[in-house]
Amino acid sequence: MMRALGLCLALAAPALAEPVVPKFTDETATAGLSTVFAGDWEYMVGGGVATFDCSGDGLPEVFLSGGAGPSALYLNRSPVGGALAFEKTDAVTMDAVLGAYPLDIDSDGVMDLVVLRQGENKLLRGTGACKFEVANEAWGFDGGDAWSSAFAAIWEKGQSWPTLAIGNYIDRKEEAFPWGSCTDNWLHRPDGQRFGAPIPLTPSYCALSMLFTDWNRSGYPSLRVSNDREYYKGGQEQMWHLEPGQPPKLYTEKDDGWKRLRIWGMGIASADVNLDGYPDYFLTSMADNKLQVLKDATSGKPDYADIAFKSGVTAHRPYTGGDQNPSTAWHAQFADVNNDGVQDLFVAKGNVAKMPDFAEKDPNNLLLGVGDGTFVEAGDKAGVASLAIARGAQVVDLNLDGALDIVVQNRWSGPEVWRQDADPASAWVQVRLSQSGANRDAIGAVVELRRGDKVERHEVVSGGGHLSGSVGWLHFGLGQADSVEMRVVWPDGSEGDWMTLPARTFQILRPGQAAEGWQPG
Amino acid sequence: MTFRRRQLLGLSLAAPFAFAWKPTLAAGRADVSREVLLTWHKLILELVRHTATYMPPVAARGFAYIGVTAHEALATGNPGLRSLSGQLTDLPPLPARPGGEFDEPCVLHAALETAVKALFANTGPTGQRAMQKMSEIMGKTASEGIAAEIVDRSVAHGQAVAAHILAWAAGDGGAVIDNMGFPRDYTPGTRPQDWVPTTLIRLQQAPLLPGWGKNRPFAMPDTASLDAPPPPDYDEAPGSAFHSFAKEVAETGRALTDEQKLIARFWSDDAMLTPTPAGHWISIVMQIAERDAMPVEVIAPTLAKMGVAQADAFISCWSTKFKYNLLRPVTYIKRHIDKTWEPLLITPPFPEYTSGHSCQSGAASTVLTAIFGENFTFDDATHQAEGLPVRSFPSFAAAAEEAAASRLYGGIHFRFGNEAGLAQGRAVGAIAANLRTEA
Repeated sequence: MMRALGLCLALAAPALAEPVVPKFTDETATAGLSTVFAGDWEYMVGGGVATFDCSGDGLPEVFLSGGAGPSALYLNRSPVGGALAFEKTDAVTMDAVLGAYPLDIDSDGVMDLVVLRQGENKLLRGTGACKFEVANEAWGFDGGDAWSSAFAAIWEKGQSWPTLAIGNYIDRKEEAFPWGSCTDNWLHRPDGQRFGAPIPLTPSYCALSMLFTDWNRSGYPSLRVSNDREYYKGGQEQMWHLEPGQPPKLYTEKDDGWKRLRIWGMGIASADVNLDGYPDYFLTSMADNKLQVLKDATSGKPDYADIAFKSGVTAHRPYTGGDQNPSTAWHAQFADVNNDGVQDLFVAKGNVAKMPDFAEKDPNNLLLGVGDGTFVEAGDKAGVASLAIARGAQVVDLNLDGALDIVVQNRWSGPEVWRQDADPASAWVQVRLSQSGANRDAIGAVVELRRGDKVERHEVVSGGGHLSGSVGWLHFGLGQADSVEMRVVWPDGSEGDWMTLPARTFQILRPGQAAEGWQPG
Repeated sequence: MTFRRRQLLGLSLAAPFAFAWKPTLAAGRADVSREVLLTWHKLILELVRHTATYMPPVAARGFAYIGVTAHEALATGNPGLRSLSGQLTDLPPLPARPGGEFDEPCVLHAALETAVKALFANTGPTGQRAMQKMSEIMGKTASEGIAAEIVDRSVAHGQAVAAHILAWAAGDGGAVIDNMGFPRDYTPGTRPQDWVPTTLIRLQQAPLLPGWGKNRPFAMPDTASLDAPPPPDYDEAPGSAFHSFAKEVAETGRALTDEQKLIARFWSDDAMLTPTPAGHWISIVMQIAERDAMPVEVIAPTLAKMGVAQADAFISCWSTKFKYNLLRPVTYIKRHIDKTWEPLLITPPFPEYTSGHSCQSGAASTVLTAIFGENFTFDDATHQAEGLPVRSFPSFAAAAEEAAASRLYGGIHFRFGNEAGLAQGRAVGAIAANLRTEA
């Protein structure tokens, strides 16, 4: 099977030349982002970044978590294709925030925000023009009192209200013996047009990332949970069945063929890296990272091979900066950063605090996909190999020029943002999914691209990474192509028609309708 | 204070005496000393698991120095105890107590606090926080009701004892662990029987701590004299002795019973996920100490002697491992028997012969048998918090034999590696067992 996969990879590879290194300009000093992720032990994890458009201009706003300090929402004032510029607002200035995810919970077309905190989590209802109000009570949401450190959302089949999964970390009240004190994760399922009482996802093992993903293309996404082995006892990586109307059920070795894996799990990134039609998962950790591909889809078992080593993405130690101690990886995100049609991988790196056995100067990784299943490091050449203590991040087109930019939140030293100088030789397309009724942004849909005889599948998710997420334009690199064939498999399972979308355009895709072109500015 | 009350209660539950212990400290203060010793060790077990450099040999070294520190702290003020100076390699005489009154719990707490904070100086932020909290809690427990002058004098002496041990420890060759114990440069062997990496983790493409066997032994006269005999001649031919040993691992792995799987996992004692093999035996002693309300004058020397035995066992075993540099069963089986075979346990990233767990279990069990006798029954709940059941053993030797067998069930060692490891460990343990801790 693996040999067959390798052959498929080789055949599907669009280009095996050395990938083009994208050029980034560090605009941290001028962009206007200033919120520091502050705090001591209670904020050793977190530092999330959320991007979404709440002003209606198509440009993604940026929310930065501030830890013990105030968080902030920044309006995106960047000219299209120009220098990045943000205006700080007082819209979301609450403290004790570890991260946030945008989600149109009530499907009113105005983006809401799920804010994960030390203490009570908050659901902020968007009221328009980037204003928000706390909606916990209105939506029946029990924010609890925990160290919330992971999030994922999905609309379960037949539901018009989302299901939220919230991961929790250590019991912060256990000062001398915190190990083994992982508090329960929660599943907030709908009760009509509000949330029911949270369901504990027992056992819980100190989650730092969660992701609803249709790993086996069953049409029913499961909940993957990446856990920090530092604090659990008897724990491991997890996945939960989530069948409509049924209580969540853990995948087990005995019943499902789940394989035990114990890592310092900190972030999940998902993409179909090997183009077999099934999502693959990059799991961040310390001194090692995993890239999991399904061994045999026909077996029906979630049995994954770790191909990080042979793919060149172990990212286990710094590649620049002079520090050779093992790395600490947090947010990870697949994206086609250089628009060559091959997935790349960004990994935010940084020491937990001052752990002397791990790199103090730990550069972020920008691993460029070669096209043969391997990746090459380009963070230093691209100009994003910061040695700050990174946590959350987003790889997103901040100025709508078709070239992905990067914003990273760092512990103690504040955010960094890099604008990519768009390469006119490489094409792209960006699409936004929009459907009427519930789940306006089509979370759980799959965007399919047909290139040659291969179909790439891209899950549209809310969750994963390290306390960081985005809703908005979905970006795809096209290389030298003038257009791309694309279709959407909508969350209800209906398959849209194949469409030919012209390169270098923004398109809004709706079920049963032709693509609608959109232009920024 | 958020210290869990049940954790303290668990340490103070009285239980029937299995032995006629003869405590020599005043009863009330003796109980406090005991609580100080055991509570710090509960934290140490966690710190071992959560400190990235504390691979099994490193952990054994740490337990040994902490055990010796506690024993020496008590021995400087207890005429019934004998110092290990003069018995352990290069350990100079401990600082004598100056004039004045001392409080034993305060001495012991200060010695442990100093040693633990130094030996785990590189632990993460949670470990640092926990050590600080433990300092506050145990410092208060130890000093409550004691005159400040006595507390100060006792603390100063405890710190001096620990500083003395730490200075001694600094020169043993094992004080600095780089890159989590994995060499940055490594040239693999070229013989067919040579060890090759067995994991897909980049750091583990070099073996763990190849120089550990050169460390200064604690009680062994030297490392070479306790070497194991050579492993069976390497042979790839079906029917050869070596092939048969490998076939046994493969076939055992394919037909594991639930009990064998449980045994394999019970003794797996993985670094970073458990207190390691040495910590497992420390945990056993702590459980017996609780069950039998063992006095501190017995617990401390027991931990010291067993720690020394385990640390020396790892030094001896590692010397042997890198002398023969033998491949792991999974490598041989995949090459010559069944390329699809996988072991139940994760194969540790270093050569096979001899088995480290077997060796240090043989050493620990030998010391404990010498102290508590043969046929000493006990229950072991070390991994209960991880969902593994309590196991009962008729003797320390039986537990060590099960630990050795577990490596065969786990698919990570040949039978001959386990048996030779046990024998090697027992020889090491006999030396530690002969250390004199009583006057």
